[in-house]
Amino acid sequence: MKDINIEERVVSDHKVKITARGVQVHYGTTHALKDVDVDILSGTVTAFIGPSGCGKSTFLRCLNRMNDTVSSARVSGSILLDGEDIYDKRVDPVQLRAKVGMVFQKPNPFPKSIYDNVAYGPKIHGLTRSKAELDAIVESSLKKAALWNEVKDRLAAPGTGLSGGQQQRLCIARAIATSPEVLLMDEPCSALDPIATAQVEELIDELRSQFSVVIVTHSMQQAARVSQRTAFFHLGHLVEYGETGQVFTTPKDPRTESYITGRIG
Amino acid sequence: MTDASSAAPALPNRVHSILTESADMRRRNAAEGRFKLYGMAAIAVSFIVLGIMLWTIFSDGLSGFQQAKLTFPVTLTAETLDPKGNKNRDEMAKVTTVGYGKVLAASFKAELAARNIPTDGVTEKELVEIISKDAPGGLRARVLADPSLLGQTIEMTMLATGRIDGYLKGRVTMQTAERDGNVSPAQLQFADLLIDAGILKTGFNREFLTNPDASDQRPEAAGLGVAILGSAYMMLLVLIMCVPVGVAASIYLEEFAPKNRWTDLVEVNISNLAAVPSIVFGILGLAIFINFMGLPQSSSVVGALVISLMTLPTIIIATRASIRAVPPSIRDAALGIGASKMQTVFHHVLPLAMPGILTGTILGLASALGETAPLLLIGMVAFVDNYPSAPVEGFFDPATALPVQVYSWASRSDPAFIERSSAAIIVLLVFLVIMNVTAIILRRKFERRW
Repeated sequence: MKDINIEERVVSDHKVKITARGVQVHYGTTHALKDVDVDILSGTVTAFIGPSGCGKSTFLRCLNRMNDTVSSARVSGSILLDGEDIYDKRVDPVQLRAKVGMVFQKPNPFPKSIYDNVAYGPKIHGLTRSKAELDAIVESSLKKAALWNEVKDRLAAPGTGLSGGQQQRLCIARAIATSPEVLLMDEPCSALDPIATAQVEELIDELRSQFSVVIVTHSMQQAARVSQRTAFFHLGHLVEYGETGQVFTTPKDPRTESYITGRIG
Repeated sequence: MTDASSAAPALPNRVHSILTESADMRRRNAAEGRFKLYGMAAIAVSFIVLGIMLWTIFSDGLSGFQQAKLTFPVTLTAETLDPKGNKNRDEMAKVTTVGYGKVLAASFKAELAARNIPTDGVTEKELVEIISKDAPGGLRARVLADPSLLGQTIEMTMLATGRIDGYLKGRVTMQTAERDGNVSPAQLQFADLLIDAGILKTGFNREFLTNPDASDQRPEAAGLGVAILGSAYMMLLVLIMCVPVGVAASIYLEEFAPKNRWTDLVEVNISNLAAVPSIVFGILGLAIFINFMGLPQSSSVVGALVISLMTLPTIIIATRASIRAVPPSIRDAALGIGASKMQTVFHHVLPLAMPGILTGTILGLASALGETAPLLLIGMVAFVDNYPSAPVEGFFDPATALPVQVYSWASRSDPAFIERSSAAIIVLLVFLVIMNVTAIILRRKFERRW
């Protein structure tokens, strides 16, 4: 795989952003995630890979407590964001989600204007005091999401009228408009064509400078292209976690090797 | 991949041109054709039944919007109507409708004499009977409202009696008149003379939409005024009571309530409530709202309370369905950027569910408008010939409702009321069509595409 350029990856000086220890998730009687320990670093793109149903999306949804909306889900273990337990009783998940943004698999813009889509987060969190500030946030978010040039003349047009790739970038702009510290992406490119995928991947790499990005992906090439660290999940277990180059070239676990070489999955 | 080919049993080798139809294909196509035919037959039958129903109603009822009316100048003789001669309303009110009837009869005869219309075939009593018994009351109200009319001669249009109206519409004929104690063939012949003279003719029956109900002897004067007002009051109250409660309950159950045995019980009971026969709600209304709470009988407020109980489950079910139809990805999106549950619901879910909620509400109201059985039990079938006053006190005044008026007219003996009953159904249908069209328009207006 030529995509992997191990030499370029410099990750050692980043500090730990999220610490997960002994995370277990049950959906009713199903034990979906078993004893996961992960440290997610700041300024890093971390990829979760693994076959379908391995628990990678479940784990991602634990990181901003989106699993709370699933009534049958039970989460145990500890997940610390900057040393604070996000499952502490005092934590309001709404406040947490302002810090840990999320982009979903299917582009899901609100059926409102492009402007309103991006402005919604800052509005509800009271991040701006004036229309001018809001305008500035919308512009900078759309610029960061590499969408500004395409939509700057039609901010009042409905966000749902954009193409799939544009919609997904709009969702990314919406997520980063609230200036989160961590950005979770659940297979953000699975509904996109290769060109849109390339744009989003490029974007993810740029976002790394400001956010800690966690991306779930089915595509190992994508994991290799965009991430600095990779975690491989299999049947609810975290099998292997390390620097992307090492995981892909010299996996320690035979299951990782089988998956990467296409024998399981 | 290697073991797949050996295990599968070999399929029979079908050598068949695709240009000809195989026996199996013919059977499948025939089945499909039959199924389509059943469907079309079912639709045809329902259209025919609907057509027959509408044709019956319209052929019976459309004539109800026309009414035979007499027009002639009336001389308001001051001696009869104001014996004291001081134009004092209180003094004038002592003259009853009998006095006004005399004035009308005198003016009518004077007009006939002036126009040289021969009256030899009919007795004087029969002549006066042609004027509706409702006319003196109308004239009295008019004069009392404006005493300056006294002594003047005014051109007046008044209702003709029900049988003459029926004669003009073909319901009463010479043959039926011979057997009828209320009208004689001589009167009908005389009516022909009046038509020729232009005194008697049919015109649009505005009174039908504004007049209150009238007694059995005066079908020509019976109108829907009180019923329309009563139905309007009830719909207003149902709207005020049902929509906030229904929508709030739906939002809570759908978005906030934990899923446990209690909420399951609530859900089952809401569905059950929707299936309870309406007459049962009538008994409940009678027992609780009238006997226990002491609210006035026959009033719109009791009717609205009873109908609200019936409409609430409909609205809740429709609202919950449209809330559930909002894609979960929208909720995820809002929660994912840190909107609270409440913000998610009010900023995103409700606007998207709005068309469905509005449609469900209006259709619920439309079915409430046609509800009859519970209203019979709480006394709204009573004969009410006073308009309820303006809201809010008017909500507690006796009133009737459109479907109940249809029922009460249909059960009266005079055929003139059958015509009015069908005409009332037409009015009811017009209101229902208006409500349904409103629902469609609102749906179109609020619908958002994505």
